[in-house]
Amino acid sequence: MTQEYDAIIIGGGHNGLTCAAYLAKAGRKTLVLERRHVLGGAAVSEEVFPGFTFTVCSYVVSLLRPEVIRELELAKHGLHIMPVDSTVAPLENGDYFATYADEASTREEIRRHSHRDAEMAPKFTQMMYEMAFAVKPIIGVVPPNPEKPGIRGLGTMKELGQHLHGLGKDTLHELTKIMTMSVADFVEEWYESDILKALASLNGIIGTLLGPKSPGTAYVLLHHYMGELDGAFTAWGQQKGGTGGVSEAIASAARSHGAEIRCNAPVAQVIVKNGRAVGVALENGDEIYAKTIASGCDPKVTFRTLVDEKELPDDLVAAIDKFKYRGSSGKVNLALDALPNFTAIKDPALLRGSVEICPSMDYLERAYDDASYGGFSERPYMDISIPTTSDPTMAPPGKHVMSIFVQYARYDMAKHGTHDEQRQAFGDAVINTLSDFAPNIKDIILHKQVLTPWDIEDKIALTEGNIFQGELTLDQLFFFRPAPGWADYRTPIRNYYQCGSGTHPGGGITAGPGRLAALEILRDGN
Amino acid sequence: MGNYDVIVIGAGHNGLVAAAYLAKGGRRVLVLERQDRVGGAAVTEELFPGFHFSTCADGGGYLSPEVRRDLALDSNGLKIHAADPVVFAPQPDGSHLTIWRDTARTAKEIEAFSKKDAARYPDFVALMQKLAGVVGGLMRIAPPDLPELAWGDLRSLVKLAGPLRKLGRKNLNELLRVLPMPVADLLNEWFESEVLKGAIAASGVRNITWGPQEAGTAYTLLYDWALSDTGLFRSAGVVSGGMGALTKTIAQAARSFGVEIQTGAGVERVAIEEGRAVGVQLENGEAHTAKVIASNADPRTTFTRLVDPLIQSAKLARHVRNIKYRGSAARIHLALREIPEFNALRGGDTATYLSGPIQISPSMMYLQRAYDCVKYGEYSQKPYLDILIPSLSDPTLAPSGQHVMSITAKFAPNELRVGDWAERREAFTEVVLDTLAEYAPKIRDVIAHRKTLVPPDLEAEFGLPEGNPNHGEMTLDQFFHMRPIPGYARYRTPFPGLYLCGAGAHPGGGVTGIPGQNAAREILRDWS
Repeated sequence: MTQEYDAIIIGGGHNGLTCAAYLAKAGRKTLVLERRHVLGGAAVSEEVFPGFTFTVCSYVVSLLRPEVIRELELAKHGLHIMPVDSTVAPLENGDYFATYADEASTREEIRRHSHRDAEMAPKFTQMMYEMAFAVKPIIGVVPPNPEKPGIRGLGTMKELGQHLHGLGKDTLHELTKIMTMSVADFVEEWYESDILKALASLNGIIGTLLGPKSPGTAYVLLHHYMGELDGAFTAWGQQKGGTGGVSEAIASAARSHGAEIRCNAPVAQVIVKNGRAVGVALENGDEIYAKTIASGCDPKVTFRTLVDEKELPDDLVAAIDKFKYRGSSGKVNLALDALPNFTAIKDPALLRGSVEICPSMDYLERAYDDASYGGFSERPYMDISIPTTSDPTMAPPGKHVMSIFVQYARYDMAKHGTHDEQRQAFGDAVINTLSDFAPNIKDIILHKQVLTPWDIEDKIALTEGNIFQGELTLDQLFFFRPAPGWADYRTPIRNYYQCGSGTHPGGGITAGPGRLAALEILRDGN
Repeated sequence: MGNYDVIVIGAGHNGLVAAAYLAKGGRRVLVLERQDRVGGAAVTEELFPGFHFSTCADGGGYLSPEVRRDLALDSNGLKIHAADPVVFAPQPDGSHLTIWRDTARTAKEIEAFSKKDAARYPDFVALMQKLAGVVGGLMRIAPPDLPELAWGDLRSLVKLAGPLRKLGRKNLNELLRVLPMPVADLLNEWFESEVLKGAIAASGVRNITWGPQEAGTAYTLLYDWALSDTGLFRSAGVVSGGMGALTKTIAQAARSFGVEIQTGAGVERVAIEEGRAVGVQLENGEAHTAKVIASNADPRTTFTRLVDPLIQSAKLARHVRNIKYRGSAARIHLALREIPEFNALRGGDTATYLSGPIQISPSMMYLQRAYDCVKYGEYSQKPYLDILIPSLSDPTLAPSGQHVMSITAKFAPNELRVGDWAERREAFTEVVLDTLAEYAPKIRDVIAHRKTLVPPDLEAEFGLPEGNPNHGEMTLDQFFHMRPIPGYARYRTPFPGLYLCGAGAHPGGGVTGIPGQNAAREILRDWS
């Protein structure tokens, strides 16, 4: 058994690639093994229909950690984020609400709906920045174990304690609220206009099986503000060529430091000898040995598929089995013959930004109720982007691609029959709802790809289709992510590490877990 | 007009407890009550001739044993009947689950629904008791003014040492993990039987406007667990003479320590001079001065009515405005000619099974759906019912052979989006009776009289804003150092000399006496 590599990373998602890039940069001979034919995991672009390229799963980028962009010099490797310059929500009464890249226009538009909210909006944004600043140090540290903190953990706790102390009472109180409240209640304290409240709530529900009135969602909102720090990005953005481009940029950085990346190389098992990980066995029977193995997969795959239960303590197995995924979103990708015609959107320039099918707070909450009772929303929330409006190369001339992130769709839709029937019914609900807002949609669809949470699990190996590799609820954050005592990227198996979104600081295209895991691996001298 | 050391505004149970402790600590105390009786929301009323009801607050088993002992309530005549079963939960299919005080006996009952759950139940109870021990410890201290810990906090944190030792280091993570969880997730980790989960989850939502899927309902479950007289997730104490007898006994104990109580004496304003509370003006024009004023009114009433809003900072006003109340429970009182037959009890020992709390909460999804209606300003078509027939424990509450039944029905919003309560109160009552009739089909035949109080009625009759009996929702963002408003969770207010001693203060609602006891302790601590 010869060690061909210093480190093997299982999974070429953006966090696995980030981990690999950092290890390679530190001089480790690193190999990334990706199951599929493309890199990126959930951050992937594919030519789904001839000539039409889609960002298949994740669709916007704003959370990527600035230090990762800096340290891996991602701009040099092709990272190119184009800001989303507007957001528009058609309303059920034929009106619309929009926000623009230009602040003055946004304020004018808000004033059209509520004078008071126009005054509040900048204050709300300012407060969210302050909150993001308040939690920023938490995002960047390895979570201690409250039961057995050790000297390092005590040090971390002391530093965090001092940081929190320095924030002052008012910020800490607001932070307590944002950690515990529902996003609906949270924005209720700021805004009066229903549509503004609904739109402000959206980032609180993305990726969770929770409605805007469910407590815990204010934190998810905050999670989505993290990326707006440091001036690295000023707004949500779309990567040129789709989010797969982000993964490609990170992969390119990794390669430049000497990492090797193999696609079509699914790992069946981590080889463990005497409590130590020594290599991986591929599905084709090949075995590759290395000093360090890191898994970018979610906790279920990392602990329950890739290694044998007998290598793990019972309490960890129990905790991993309790870990909640509950994917809540699907994706519908449309190849279009022309641009859709939204009744309420008169200015075609607004189609360059995102279109939100979220006409009211009740609409969102009812969409959640449908899924909460088991199934998908009959009238779902949709976040639509038409990337060909700014990057025409993604479709043949004159044609368009439309990417629709849809919530809510439950992983388990048992009452709708087989998976094929579920997919059909879910896709129909999406298109029917969409046609209420854009009546010509049915006439211009050339091709349609519908992904349910089940499909996302099947395709990307995300358990229950959860895009965050596990829900971002308080009981699954920080030192509980993914399990108490194992939130420091290590595992009970020596030299086996976790580096995916199932670890702190969690999901989204942040690259935070990959970076922190790499630093821990290097710290251990591996 | 004597000079008093302390004036307590409101003779609810917490005001009376605070007054009694203060008098016991040597202060001259006057309690001023707007109503013509003491008790606040914990009263017994003869709603129909011969039928006595605990009109608003119910649940006699949550009173702090420490308060009961310190104020010698038993020797003042307090009698609380320890009902067993703790829960009788009839099911739509005619079966039933009974939770007894004895864990082993309950496990046997659970076997009918799931052998696996029956085996796990004792472990669940043991763990929750440990977690609840720490929650109970936290209830008895003044929350530290985070992030600044003072020396005094260390002194109070010592109180947590015992419960934390019992909890064990191994369970610390479990406590931190469970507190912010939805009760549904917690129970799903333990059990498979919907019947069992529905019976327990009800305690997570009984005192809150949330369904079991809402994060924070595991905390409300532990809150009930920490306080209940059963060592389980809810109390089963039935006060002899109804809840009014309990508050009357506290008043009697308070008087025995020298407290003076005036009823029919509504306070108009707290007199504030140079930022300091110095006395009160009454609605009848009288005025009293005192060194300390303790308000048993809820925080909204205290800061918007009792203290002149014009002298308050914008920040305080904003915090007070943002307190969520959101009452969602209706009280339905039935005078019964006889005990109705329950499908689940044909030929059974009705008097025993019905002597404690009866719950219509057959599954967690049932509770969730019952809640989901209020999100849209509508009442449940299939409400969760929490029923007590106290006359089975205390026959004096009703004419011989007849009974009183009080139902807490959830969920009913404070404000209806369609129509108003004046026109829909009766329709809701019918919904409640229809629901009950699925389990006790002849219920309508045995009703002699009935009365329904929806949240606005509770506000009108008991001064509970939005009909919330807890003086503010018991949610995680309104708990501990955030209760009732951030920065003032230690019973003190922005106005020196003015204190809060009601359920709006830490730890919150329920007829526990703990806010009153804690407030008195803090007042005495500040005295010197």
